[in-house]
Amino acid sequence: MSGDIELIGVFSDDAQCAHAIEKLHHASIVEFHTFSPFPSEKMLEAVDEVREWGRSPVRKFVLAGGITGAITALVLTVGTSWEWNLNTGGRPIASITPYIVIIFEMMILFGVLGAVTSFFIKSGLPSFESATGYRTRFGADRFGLVVRTAESDSAKIEAMMREAGAEEVVREAA
Amino acid sequence: MAAAVDQSNYHNLSFLDVDRTAQRVMAPAGLKYWLWVGFCAFLVAVGGSFWTRQIYEGLGVTGYGQPTLWAIYITDFVFWVGIAHSGTLISAVLFLFRTRWRTAVYRCAETMTVFAVLTAGLFPIVHLGRPWFFYWLCPYPNERYLQPDFRSPLTWDFFAISTYLTTSTLFLSMGLIPDIANQRDISIGWRKKFYSVLACGWQGTDRQWRNFSMAYLLLAGFATPLVLSVHSVVSWDFATMQTPGMHSTIFAPYFVAGAIFSGCAMVLTLIIPMRKMLHIEDLVTIWHLDSLAKVILLTSLVITYSYSTEAFLVYYAQDPIEMTTFYQRFFGHQGYLFGGMVLCNCLIPLLLFSPSIRTNTIWLFVISIFVNIGMWLERFVLIAGSLSVATIPSQWKFYVPKVTEVMITIASFGWFLMNFSLFTKFLPIVSMTELKEGVGWLRKSARNTYPYGKAS
Repeated sequence: MSGDIELIGVFSDDAQCAHAIEKLHHASIVEFHTFSPFPSEKMLEAVDEVREWGRSPVRKFVLAGGITGAITALVLTVGTSWEWNLNTGGRPIASITPYIVIIFEMMILFGVLGAVTSFFIKSGLPSFESATGYRTRFGADRFGLVVRTAESDSAKIEAMMREAGAEEVVREAA
Repeated sequence: MAAAVDQSNYHNLSFLDVDRTAQRVMAPAGLKYWLWVGFCAFLVAVGGSFWTRQIYEGLGVTGYGQPTLWAIYITDFVFWVGIAHSGTLISAVLFLFRTRWRTAVYRCAETMTVFAVLTAGLFPIVHLGRPWFFYWLCPYPNERYLQPDFRSPLTWDFFAISTYLTTSTLFLSMGLIPDIANQRDISIGWRKKFYSVLACGWQGTDRQWRNFSMAYLLLAGFATPLVLSVHSVVSWDFATMQTPGMHSTIFAPYFVAGAIFSGCAMVLTLIIPMRKMLHIEDLVTIWHLDSLAKVILLTSLVITYSYSTEAFLVYYAQDPIEMTTFYQRFFGHQGYLFGGMVLCNCLIPLLLFSPSIRTNTIWLFVISIFVNIGMWLERFVLIAGSLSVATIPSQWKFYVPKVTEVMITIASFGWFLMNFSLFTKFLPIVSMTELKEGVGWLRKSARNTYPYGKAS
């Protein structure tokens, strides 16, 4: 949108940043993203309230990975035993009890691979482009709130950010 | 008073202080550091040459022989797998319980886990007479109908150890990403390029943190039962055999407790000199060491209970062969090894009941060394000791290691320490992200709940 700008609010405290997000939410402004040096529960809760994300989809990938791993291990162990159909002392060809160890380990292995893969996919990683408004301080000791807005609304949003405790609000062309 | 310095540092700690301290650790290394790495590499080279000789001449150059065909290499394997376990305990289990003191030490413990599993993984190969056929260990159906036996604990081991190595490596790598991104932002030259690749474009947006938190939580959830299963599987390598001295139902919990015990001791062995040499006393405080010492004390008591239960069960069953094996273990030709193990694992750790010892770094370091020695002896007594007397007395033969095994064992410490030392200089050995998350809590905790007046 031509004429849009980006307002970058810099906060020294995550609670203040979360407060600013709540203020934006009350004003029905949802076009924003945040940066933080650690996963601040206050900020993530505030963002979640706006976006109604619910729980991360990563868990579904993990469940799928775990089930895939368990089935793969079952097929590998039972299939191999049937293929090498040797009766030793009348014991069952496919003894499920000892195979549970392998099924358990492969369930974990595939679940873990699912978790890491989905984390990368859902987080947009690897990424070679910088997110708009990123400052190196946001990886160190400051919390960032970046709002994309029309020039006409920028004064109101800047006031909200400052009211919430922003120590600095920077304007950038979108 | 050192503790007072630690606490006052914590009171004033800011996010930037955390970054500065971690970055100072990663500053270009001096001559002393490279001499140390060179010394470790020299040990690896010496061990490598002995292994080369063993491959060329065969296992006859070792002290192996009937009836003791599992001895020092399997002892080393179990020892290093055990060392790995406390890393997962501190990083995953304590994460799930939201135990805050883990934040300063967990990266070190996790790194230790990965390198310890890497070291452990070498020993089944070193143990082989024909190591070039090591891939036969992999349970894959092949065209010669040498089908894997999935009922064998050795096959379980393959799955357990490879899953553990993969999970530990991914867990460590994922936790490193935000810290590496922080390094990327402040680095220049080749380091900036190096960290840019490893950071994968991480910027700490809300979307990234949301997925990171969930993935990390689930990895911790997976790693917790995994750590219990891996050492249980290792214990079943022995417990499922009919060999007297090994055929025991309590091995799984006994091995898991032993693993946490030895691993926490190894964390102390590494972290006490490291915090001094790298000047990170204000991040890894006496309070953290005290907490680790309490875990060691608790697991030592569990170990003592396990030793007693094992002996009592043998006495209660009155099986003459088991009784003989245990008599030999306690009072036989190599009974002094059992005595040393009890001294190191059961008696010396009792000193940790004293708060003044738990807050004295020299005492803690010395005790941690004893525990490491004791736990190595425990595995040796269990494996080589049991096999030596497992047959009819006319065939008994006590195993005595030769220079080949001794040098390869020493080389494994060189290999582990070399990798660990290289890691500390190129990647963050303390988690800046988690320290920042918990810095307010840590400040408060160090001020309000640190219970002892004296520390050094």
